[in-house]
Amino acid sequence: MNRLPWWMGGILMSGLLLLTFSTFGADRPIGASTYVPYFAGIIFDLDPEKYGYLKHIANSGAWEGVMLFGALLGGFVTSVFITKSFRFSLIPTGWKKYKNNSVLSRLLWSFFSGFIMIIGARMAGGCTSGHFMSGMSQMAVSSMIFGGVVLVVVIITGRLFYNVKEK
Amino acid sequence: MQSEGLFSRFLGMFENVIGQDHGSLALVFLIGIIFGGIIQYTRVDKFEKIAGFAMLKDTIVPKMLFLAVGLTSIGLYFMIEAGIAHYHVKPILWQGLVIGGTLFGISMAILGKCPGTGPISISEGRIDVLIGAIGGLLGGLVFTLYYDDFFKPLMGESAGKLTLPELFPGNEHMVVLIFGVVVTLIAIAIPKMELFDEADLCQLPDDHRPDRKI
Repeated sequence: MNRLPWWMGGILMSGLLLLTFSTFGADRPIGASTYVPYFAGIIFDLDPEKYGYLKHIANSGAWEGVMLFGALLGGFVTSVFITKSFRFSLIPTGWKKYKNNSVLSRLLWSFFSGFIMIIGARMAGGCTSGHFMSGMSQMAVSSMIFGGVVLVVVIITGRLFYNVKEK
Repeated sequence: MQSEGLFSRFLGMFENVIGQDHGSLALVFLIGIIFGGIIQYTRVDKFEKIAGFAMLKDTIVPKMLFLAVGLTSIGLYFMIEAGIAHYHVKPILWQGLVIGGTLFGISMAILGKCPGTGPISISEGRIDVLIGAIGGLLGGLVFTLYYDDFFKPLMGESAGKLTLPELFPGNEHMVVLIFGVVVTLIAIAIPKMELFDEADLCQLPDDHRPDRKI
Protein backbone atom coordinates (compact mmCIF):
# COMPACT_ATOMS: atom_id res chain seq x y z
CA MET A 1 0.00 0.00 0.00
CA ASN A 2 2.09 2.87 -1.29
CA ARG A 3 0.87 6.21 -0.11
CA LEU A 4 1.90 9.71 0.82
CA PRO A 5 1.64 10.95 4.41
CA TRP A 6 -1.05 13.55 5.17
CA TRP A 7 1.43 16.42 5.55
CA MET A 8 2.94 15.74 2.15
CA GLY A 9 -0.57 15.65 0.67
CA GLY A 10 -1.40 18.97 2.34
CA ILE A 11 1.77 20.64 1.06
CA LEU A 12 1.28 19.34 -2.49
CA MET A 13 -2.39 20.33 -2.50
CA SER A 14 -1.42 23.80 -1.28
CA GLY A 15 1.08 24.08 -4.14
CA LEU A 16 -1.58 23.05 -6.64
CA LEU A 17 -4.08 25.57 -5.22
CA LEU A 18 -1.53 28.40 -5.43
CA LEU A 19 -0.61 27.44 -9.01
CA THR A 20 -4.28 27.40 -9.99
CA PHE A 21 -4.97 30.76 -8.31
CA SER A 22 -1.94 32.48 -9.86
CA THR A 23 -2.21 34.62 -12.96
CA PHE A 24 0.45 32.48 -14.65
CA GLY A 25 -1.70 29.45 -13.83
CA ALA A 26 -5.47 29.58 -14.23
CA ASP A 27 -6.32 32.76 -12.24
CA ARG A 28 -9.28 31.01 -10.60
CA PRO A 29 -10.00 28.67 -7.69
CA ILE A 30 -10.26 24.87 -7.89
CA GLY A 31 -13.83 23.61 -7.80
CA ALA A 32 -15.35 20.18 -8.22
CA SER A 33 -19.14 20.33 -8.12
CA THR A 34 -20.22 22.76 -10.85
CA TYR A 35 -19.27 20.23 -13.52
CA VAL A 36 -22.13 17.95 -12.41
CA PRO A 37 -25.09 20.14 -13.47
CA TYR A 38 -22.96 21.14 -16.48
CA PHE A 39 -22.68 17.48 -17.50
CA ALA A 40 -26.40 16.98 -16.79
CA GLY A 41 -27.04 19.79 -19.28
CA ILE A 42 -24.83 18.09 -21.90
CA ILE A 43 -26.14 14.56 -21.38
CA PHE A 44 -29.85 15.46 -21.23
CA ASP A 45 -29.43 18.03 -24.01
CA LEU A 46 -30.87 20.97 -22.08
CA ASP A 47 -31.05 24.33 -23.83
CA PRO A 48 -28.98 26.95 -21.94
CA GLU A 49 -31.28 29.64 -23.34
CA LYS A 50 -34.18 28.01 -21.55
CA TYR A 51 -32.45 27.19 -18.28
CA GLY A 52 -30.79 30.25 -16.78
CA TYR A 53 -28.64 28.23 -14.40
CA LEU A 54 -26.80 26.52 -17.28
CA LYS A 55 -25.96 29.88 -18.79
CA HIS A 56 -24.75 31.05 -15.40
CA ILE A 57 -22.34 28.08 -15.00
CA ALA A 58 -21.32 27.69 -18.68
CA ASN A 59 -17.70 28.78 -18.14
CA SER A 60 -16.96 27.36 -14.71
CA GLY A 61 -18.77 24.10 -15.58
CA ALA A 62 -16.66 23.62 -18.71
CA TRP A 63 -13.42 24.45 -16.85
CA GLU A 64 -14.19 21.96 -14.08
CA GLY A 65 -15.31 19.39 -16.67
CA VAL A 66 -11.91 19.45 -18.36
CA MET A 67 -10.20 19.33 -14.96
CA LEU A 68 -12.36 16.32 -14.05
CA PHE A 69 -11.21 14.42 -17.14
CA GLY A 70 -7.64 15.09 -16.05
CA ALA A 71 -8.46 13.98 -12.48
CA LEU A 72 -9.95 10.70 -13.73
CA LEU A 73 -6.80 10.01 -15.74
CA GLY A 74 -4.51 11.04 -12.88
CA GLY A 75 -6.46 8.91 -10.41
CA PHE A 76 -6.56 5.90 -12.74
CA VAL A 77 -2.85 5.97 -13.61
CA THR A 78 -1.86 6.45 -9.95
CA SER A 79 -4.13 3.61 -8.81
CA VAL A 80 -2.74 1.20 -11.40
CA PHE A 81 0.98 2.02 -11.23
CA ILE A 82 1.65 3.58 -7.83
CA THR A 83 -0.88 2.66 -5.16
CA LYS A 84 -1.82 -0.55 -7.02
CA SER A 85 -5.29 -0.22 -5.55
CA PHE A 86 -7.27 -0.57 -8.78
CA ARG A 87 -9.96 -3.24 -8.41
CA PHE A 88 -13.68 -3.40 -9.09
CA SER A 89 -15.75 -3.44 -5.94
CA LEU A 90 -19.38 -2.85 -4.99
CA ILE A 91 -19.15 -2.35 -1.25
CA PRO A 92 -16.41 -0.80 0.91
CA THR A 93 -14.85 -2.82 3.73
CA GLY A 94 -15.76 -0.11 6.23
CA TRP A 95 -19.42 -0.30 5.19
CA LYS A 96 -19.44 -4.06 5.87
CA LYS A 97 -17.86 -3.50 9.24
CA TYR A 98 -19.95 -0.58 10.49
CA LYS A 99 -23.20 -0.76 8.48
CA ASN A 100 -24.23 -4.02 6.81
CA ASN A 101 -23.24 -6.66 4.26
CA SER A 102 -25.93 -5.81 1.73
CA VAL A 103 -24.72 -4.65 -1.69
CA LEU A 104 -28.22 -3.44 -2.51
CA SER A 105 -28.29 -1.31 0.65
CA ARG A 106 -24.91 0.25 -0.23
CA LEU A 107 -25.96 0.99 -3.83
CA LEU A 108 -29.31 2.52 -2.84
CA TRP A 109 -27.70 4.70 -0.16
CA SER A 110 -24.97 5.68 -2.65
CA PHE A 111 -27.55 6.75 -5.21
CA PHE A 112 -29.56 8.70 -2.65
CA SER A 113 -26.54 10.41 -1.07
CA GLY A 114 -25.09 11.27 -4.49
CA PHE A 115 -28.39 12.90 -5.38
CA ILE A 116 -28.62 15.13 -2.29
CA MET A 117 -24.86 15.79 -2.32
CA ILE A 118 -24.99 17.68 -5.58
CA ILE A 119 -28.17 19.57 -4.65
CA GLY A 120 -26.53 20.54 -1.35
CA ALA A 121 -23.24 21.60 -2.97
CA ARG A 122 -25.00 23.70 -5.61
CA MET A 123 -27.26 25.35 -3.03
CA ALA A 124 -24.21 26.30 -0.96
CA GLY A 125 -22.29 27.35 -4.06
CA GLY A 126 -19.39 24.96 -3.58
CA CYS A 127 -18.08 21.72 -2.12
CA THR A 128 -14.98 20.50 -0.29
CA SER A 129 -12.78 21.87 -3.08
CA GLY A 130 -14.54 25.15 -3.89
CA HIS A 131 -15.58 26.15 -0.38
CA PHE A 132 -13.42 24.29 2.11
CA MET A 133 -10.07 24.39 0.29
CA SER A 134 -10.28 27.33 -2.13
CA GLY A 135 -12.77 29.43 -0.16
CA MET A 136 -11.20 29.08 3.28
CA SER A 137 -7.77 29.77 1.78
CA GLN A 138 -9.17 33.17 0.78
CA MET A 139 -10.56 33.47 4.32
CA ALA A 140 -14.04 33.86 2.85
CA VAL A 141 -16.71 34.10 5.55
CA SER A 142 -19.20 32.16 3.36
CA SER A 143 -16.79 29.22 3.17
CA MET A 144 -16.23 29.22 6.93
CA ILE A 145 -19.99 29.05 7.51
CA PHE A 146 -20.21 26.16 5.03
CA GLY A 147 -17.19 24.41 6.52
CA GLY A 148 -18.58 24.72 10.07
CA VAL A 149 -22.02 23.37 9.12
CA VAL A 150 -20.53 20.46 7.14
CA LEU A 151 -18.10 19.43 9.91
CA VAL A 152 -20.87 19.31 12.51
CA VAL A 153 -23.39 17.53 10.26
CA VAL A 154 -20.83 14.97 9.06
CA ILE A 155 -20.01 13.96 12.64
CA ILE A 156 -23.67 13.83 13.74
CA THR A 157 -24.60 11.75 10.68
CA GLY A 158 -21.67 9.40 11.23
CA ARG A 159 -22.77 8.81 14.81
CA LEU A 160 -26.41 8.15 13.88
CA PHE A 161 -25.95 6.26 10.61
CA TYR A 162 -23.20 3.77 11.47
CA ASN A 163 -22.90 1.25 14.30
CA VAL A 164 -19.94 3.11 15.69
CA LYS A 165 -19.67 1.28 18.99
CA GLU A 166 -19.54 -2.21 17.53
CA LYS A 167 -16.01 -3.65 17.43
CA MET B 1 -27.59 11.02 -34.38
CA GLN B 2 -28.25 11.42 -30.67
CA SER B 3 -24.76 10.23 -29.81
CA GLU B 4 -23.23 12.52 -32.41
CA GLY B 5 -25.03 15.45 -30.78
CA LEU B 6 -23.69 14.36 -27.41
CA PHE B 7 -20.17 14.19 -28.83
CA SER B 8 -20.34 17.67 -30.28
CA ARG B 9 -21.70 19.03 -27.00
CA PHE B 10 -18.69 17.56 -25.18
CA LEU B 11 -16.45 19.06 -27.84
CA GLY B 12 -18.07 22.40 -27.02
CA MET B 13 -16.78 22.04 -23.46
CA PHE B 14 -13.16 21.91 -24.67
CA GLU B 15 -13.73 24.82 -27.06
CA ASN B 16 -15.22 26.82 -24.20
CA VAL B 17 -12.11 26.30 -22.04
CA ILE B 18 -9.82 27.25 -24.94
CA GLY B 19 -11.84 30.46 -25.33
CA GLN B 20 -11.65 31.31 -21.61
CA ASP B 21 -8.79 33.21 -20.06
CA HIS B 22 -8.24 30.70 -17.26
CA GLY B 23 -5.21 28.73 -18.41
CA SER B 24 -4.64 26.72 -21.57
CA LEU B 25 -6.59 23.52 -22.19
CA ALA B 26 -3.42 21.52 -21.49
CA LEU B 27 -2.82 23.32 -18.19
CA VAL B 28 -6.40 22.79 -16.94
CA PHE B 29 -6.10 19.11 -17.86
CA LEU B 30 -2.73 18.94 -16.09
CA ILE B 31 -4.18 20.56 -12.95
CA GLY B 32 -6.78 17.78 -13.02
CA ILE B 33 -4.14 15.06 -13.39
CA ILE B 34 -2.16 16.41 -10.42
CA PHE B 35 -5.35 16.83 -8.37
CA GLY B 36 -6.35 13.21 -9.08
CA GLY B 37 -2.80 12.01 -8.41
CA ILE B 38 -2.52 13.73 -5.02
CA ILE B 39 -5.94 12.46 -3.86
CA GLN B 40 -5.21 8.93 -5.02
CA TYR B 41 -1.64 8.82 -3.68
CA THR B 42 -2.71 10.06 -0.22
CA ARG B 43 -5.65 7.59 -0.28
CA VAL B 44 -8.13 10.22 0.90
CA ASP B 45 -10.60 9.01 -1.73
CA LYS B 46 -11.26 5.89 0.34
CA PHE B 47 -14.58 5.32 2.10
CA GLU B 48 -12.63 4.59 5.29
CA LYS B 49 -11.18 8.12 5.27
CA ILE B 50 -14.29 10.34 4.97
CA ALA B 51 -16.90 7.98 6.48
CA GLY B 52 -14.16 7.08 9.00
CA PHE B 53 -13.90 10.75 9.94
CA ALA B 54 -17.69 10.91 10.30
CA MET B 55 -17.35 8.07 12.84
CA LEU B 56 -14.34 9.88 14.40
CA LYS B 57 -12.12 6.90 13.70
CA ASP B 58 -9.92 8.57 11.07
CA THR B 59 -8.55 12.10 10.96
CA ILE B 60 -6.35 12.09 7.85
CA VAL B 61 -8.82 14.13 5.76
CA PRO B 62 -9.24 17.05 8.21
CA LYS B 63 -5.48 17.08 8.94
CA MET B 64 -4.65 17.31 5.24
CA LEU B 65 -7.43 19.84 4.51
CA PHE B 66 -6.51 22.18 7.36
CA LEU B 67 -2.82 22.04 6.46
CA ALA B 68 -3.58 22.86 2.81
CA VAL B 69 -5.81 25.77 3.87
CA GLY B 70 -3.33 27.15 6.42
CA LEU B 71 -0.40 27.14 4.01
CA THR B 72 -2.40 28.38 1.02
CA SER B 73 -4.04 31.25 2.93
CA ILE B 74 -0.68 32.88 3.70
CA GLY B 75 0.81 32.22 0.27
CA LEU B 76 -2.30 33.38 -1.56
CA TYR B 77 -2.60 36.61 0.43
CA PHE B 78 0.89 37.71 -0.51
CA MET B 79 0.37 36.63 -4.11
CA ILE B 80 -2.71 38.84 -4.24
CA GLU B 81 -0.75 41.72 -2.67
CA ALA B 82 1.91 41.22 -5.35
CA GLY B 83 -0.75 41.30 -8.05
CA ILE B 84 -0.21 37.75 -9.30
CA ALA B 85 -3.55 36.35 -8.06
CA HIS B 86 -7.08 37.59 -7.40
CA TYR B 87 -9.84 37.00 -4.90
CA HIS B 88 -12.74 34.80 -6.04
CA VAL B 89 -14.90 34.97 -2.93
CA LYS B 90 -18.30 33.29 -2.88
CA PRO B 91 -21.27 35.31 -1.57
CA ILE B 92 -22.89 34.70 1.81
CA LEU B 93 -26.31 33.17 1.16
CA TRP B 94 -27.30 32.12 4.67
CA GLN B 95 -30.11 29.72 3.74
CA GLY B 96 -28.18 28.23 0.83
CA LEU B 97 -25.08 27.68 2.98
CA VAL B 98 -26.91 26.17 5.95
CA ILE B 99 -29.41 23.97 4.02
CA GLY B 100 -26.83 23.10 1.38
CA GLY B 101 -24.14 22.40 3.98
CA THR B 102 -26.54 20.15 5.90
CA LEU B 103 -27.48 18.10 2.82
CA PHE B 104 -23.81 17.97 1.85
CA GLY B 105 -22.68 16.84 5.29
CA ILE B 106 -25.29 14.06 5.48
CA SER B 107 -24.38 12.76 2.03
CA MET B 108 -20.63 13.01 2.63
CA ALA B 109 -20.90 10.81 5.74
CA ILE B 110 -23.06 8.21 3.96
CA LEU B 111 -21.30 8.10 0.59
CA GLY B 112 -17.86 8.51 2.17
CA LYS B 113 -16.82 10.75 -0.73
CA CYS B 114 -17.19 14.32 -1.89
CA PRO B 115 -17.55 15.60 -5.47
CA GLY B 116 -13.75 15.89 -5.76
CA THR B 117 -12.74 12.52 -4.31
CA GLY B 118 -15.71 10.57 -5.74
CA PRO B 119 -14.47 10.54 -9.37
CA ILE B 120 -11.01 9.48 -8.16
CA SER B 121 -12.44 6.41 -6.46
CA ILE B 122 -14.49 5.63 -9.58
CA SER B 123 -11.20 5.73 -11.50
CA GLU B 124 -9.86 2.98 -9.21
CA GLY B 125 -12.89 0.78 -9.89
CA ARG B 126 -15.46 1.54 -7.17
CA ILE B 127 -18.84 0.70 -8.71
CA ASP B 128 -20.89 1.87 -5.71
CA VAL B 129 -19.46 5.37 -6.14
CA LEU B 130 -20.35 5.26 -9.84
CA ILE B 131 -23.96 4.64 -8.80
CA GLY B 132 -23.60 7.61 -6.46
CA ALA B 133 -22.36 9.70 -9.39
CA ILE B 134 -25.45 8.75 -11.40
CA GLY B 135 -27.54 9.92 -8.44
CA GLY B 136 -25.48 13.11 -8.43
CA LEU B 137 -26.05 13.65 -12.13
CA LEU B 138 -29.81 13.41 -11.56
CA GLY B 139 -29.44 15.78 -8.59
CA GLY B 140 -27.68 18.22 -10.92
CA LEU B 141 -30.50 17.78 -13.43
CA VAL B 142 -33.20 18.47 -10.84
CA PHE B 143 -31.26 21.49 -9.54
CA THR B 144 -30.95 22.91 -13.07
CA LEU B 145 -34.59 22.28 -13.99
CA TYR B 146 -36.05 23.84 -10.85
CA TYR B 147 -33.37 26.47 -10.13
CA ASP B 148 -35.43 29.55 -10.94
CA ASP B 149 -38.71 28.36 -9.44
CA PHE B 150 -37.55 26.53 -6.34
CA PHE B 151 -33.86 26.50 -5.44
CA LYS B 152 -32.94 30.13 -6.06
CA PRO B 153 -35.67 31.49 -3.75
CA LEU B 154 -34.81 28.79 -1.18
CA MET B 155 -31.15 29.89 -1.16
CA GLY B 156 -32.18 33.41 -0.11
CA GLU B 157 -30.63 36.80 -0.73
CA SER B 158 -26.89 37.38 -0.78
CA ALA B 159 -25.53 39.16 2.29
CA GLY B 160 -22.50 40.18 0.23
CA LYS B 161 -18.97 38.85 -0.13
CA LEU B 162 -16.82 39.13 2.94
CA THR B 163 -13.40 37.89 4.01
CA LEU B 164 -11.96 37.65 7.50
CA PRO B 165 -9.27 40.36 7.05
CA GLU B 166 -11.97 42.82 5.91
CA LEU B 167 -13.49 42.58 9.38
CA PHE B 168 -10.31 44.02 10.88
CA PRO B 169 -9.38 47.06 8.80
CA GLY B 170 -5.83 48.21 9.38
CA ASN B 171 -4.70 44.82 10.70
CA GLU B 172 -5.10 42.75 7.53
CA HIS B 173 -1.56 41.39 7.50
CA MET B 174 -1.75 40.33 11.12
CA VAL B 175 -5.12 38.62 10.63
CA VAL B 176 -3.82 36.64 7.64
CA LEU B 177 -0.73 35.55 9.49
CA ILE B 178 -2.65 34.52 12.61
CA PHE B 179 -5.29 32.68 10.55
CA GLY B 180 -2.68 30.81 8.52
CA VAL B 181 -0.59 29.83 11.53
CA VAL B 182 -3.60 28.84 13.69
CA VAL B 183 -5.15 26.68 10.94
CA THR B 184 -1.78 25.01 10.29
CA LEU B 185 -1.36 24.35 14.03
CA ILE B 186 -4.88 22.87 14.16
CA ALA B 187 -3.87 20.48 11.36
CA ILE B 188 -0.86 19.36 13.40
CA ALA B 189 -2.76 19.26 16.70
CA ILE B 190 -5.66 17.06 15.50
CA PRO B 191 -4.75 13.63 16.88
CA LYS B 192 -3.80 11.25 14.10
CA MET B 193 -6.23 8.37 13.88
CA GLU B 194 -6.57 5.90 11.05
CA LEU B 195 -9.18 3.42 9.95
CA PHE B 196 -7.61 0.88 7.63
CA ASP B 197 -9.13 -1.24 4.89
CA GLU B 198 -8.38 -4.93 5.30
CA ALA B 199 -8.57 -5.31 1.51
CA ASP B 200 -5.50 -3.06 1.21
CA LEU B 201 -3.68 -4.38 4.27
CA CYS B 202 -3.86 -8.05 3.34
CA GLN B 203 -1.60 -7.36 0.35
CA LEU B 204 1.20 -6.32 2.68
CA PRO B 205 3.69 -8.49 4.56
CA ASP B 206 2.94 -8.65 8.27
CA ASP B 207 5.80 -6.43 9.39
CA HIS B 208 4.77 -3.70 6.93
CA ARG B 209 1.20 -3.41 8.14
CA PRO B 210 0.71 0.06 9.66
CA ASP B 211 -2.13 -1.25 11.85
CA ARG B 212 0.19 -3.74 13.58
CA LYS B 213 2.84 -1.19 14.45
CA ILE B 214 2.65 0.19 17.93
